[in-house]
Amino acid sequence: MGLFTFILDNFYRIMEYTWNHFTLVLTVMLLSLLLWFSVGVIISRYNRLAGPVLGLGNLLFCLPSISLFGLFMTIPLLGLGRRSAVLALLLYAMMPLVRNVYQGIKSVDPRVVEAGRGMGLSPWQLLWQIQVPMAWPVIFAGIRITVVLITGMATVATFIGERNLGRLIHHGITRSHSEMILAGALIVSVVALVLDQFMGRLEKKLVSPGLRYQQRE
Amino acid sequence: MFELHEVTKRFPGTDTPAVDRVSLHVETGEICMLLGPSGCGKTTILRMINRLIEPTFGSVFIDGQDIAQVNPDQLRRGIGYVIQQIGLLPHRTVEENIALVPRLLKWPQNRVSGRVQELLETVGLDPQLVGKKFPYQLSGGQMQRVGVARALAVDPPIMLMDEPFGAVDPIIRLRLQDEFLNLQQSFRKTICFVTHDMNEALKMGDKIAILNNGRLIQHGTPREILSHPADPFVSHLIGEDRGVKLLDLVCVEALMTSGDNDGANGTCVQLNDPAKTALDLMLQENTDRVTVCQGQNVAGYVTWGAIKEYVHRVGGDGPG
Repeated sequence: MGLFTFILDNFYRIMEYTWNHFTLVLTVMLLSLLLWFSVGVIISRYNRLAGPVLGLGNLLFCLPSISLFGLFMTIPLLGLGRRSAVLALLLYAMMPLVRNVYQGIKSVDPRVVEAGRGMGLSPWQLLWQIQVPMAWPVIFAGIRITVVLITGMATVATFIGERNLGRLIHHGITRSHSEMILAGALIVSVVALVLDQFMGRLEKKLVSPGLRYQQRE
Repeated sequence: MFELHEVTKRFPGTDTPAVDRVSLHVETGEICMLLGPSGCGKTTILRMINRLIEPTFGSVFIDGQDIAQVNPDQLRRGIGYVIQQIGLLPHRTVEENIALVPRLLKWPQNRVSGRVQELLETVGLDPQLVGKKFPYQLSGGQMQRVGVARALAVDPPIMLMDEPFGAVDPIIRLRLQDEFLNLQQSFRKTICFVTHDMNEALKMGDKIAILNNGRLIQHGTPREILSHPADPFVSHLIGEDRGVKLLDLVCVEALMTSGDNDGANGTCVQLNDPAKTALDLMLQENTDRVTVCQGQNVAGYVTWGAIKEYVHRVGGDGPG
């Protein structure tokens, strides 16, 4: 029962950390959706770019996160704190988002796209009326993975000055305070689950029922 | 009316052209069937008419205008396009699929929904039952009907159909063909129709263009094709039953002798039945003379001799 008393005793501090954690993840998700969605669409158009861009995403994804946070911290304009944290997490989100947007669009049956072209849809209309709506299931899979991933990875940003749930875990480890670690880990996973659920709701709204059947097949 | 002038398509990295100097003229209100084995270039030709593929050489004219001068998206919105059932957008309902082109043309919403209802009824579907369904909830035949309705949405004068009834079972296919011919009676569209099925070509076509290895081998009415196949390839496509097929294209009336059929019994064929029906009745009844009726009244009779003579006269000079 030490966990509950710990949470109750430090309620306001934990709420502050949770809020900071949540807003960091939200900022990263909004920015990376804008950015990586566009990049995914662009490389699905210009196939020559696909290889290098996806390669770069993979490379960034493989760098240890703590080193990336550390590196950005030393760059003058970024420094300690949120800007470095956002940038580093943005780069981690690249691989799962760009890849899924790209693969989602590429997996749309070319015959359907061709039919749309034959009806007189312009390239822009083909994208928004056929390719993206039909790619939603795959794109959402990527978004949901990314949300969970970023929520977990945001804990590391505590080392460059973010006052978030990572701090509970970090301080818990240095003080061998197991309730503290547990509280941090549990709340991080709750934040991840809530965000994932929210994305799930959005997915249900956006994915046409005409496609849900195909997925089940 | 549209016209292909010396159209050639050579795909990059291939030695032989997919389409080789094809010239073709399709009159307003005519169904022109493009017939040939797979890989003969018939679909490529169709897709050059709505600029999904650009010809390497040659030009396509619609009502005298070179389509290379027209914006391709605008051009395609004015041409009905029907392909096999996969062409329906799986994430859109039946109504939304049909409304696709009217919406692109920014029709007001009430005009769109009125048109959708009307079209669904035209192709024999109940708007209440299928309107809100998604393509996966339809049978193959229903999908094809929706495909035809979608192509007719903005009443385009020209329609391109790429094996539109290829993916349904033979019984449904015959029914869809009959219904489509009925619609065509009133719509008089100018149609280019791709098929690999000689029977479909003979049944649906005002003209048939037979293609092989990218070249136009023969272009003519079904009767011309059957009676004077241009070469052994065409004869082979027609098959062994050329004479019987010919009898499918001529009415009983043309072979009939007026007057009473002495010794006639109950069954008779109608004046406007294909002559094949008369032949079939002769075989069934083991007789060489069948009565021809117009409604309830006897109009005359057809003899085995008349049928034999007709097939010999019209089809006698084909090769092989």
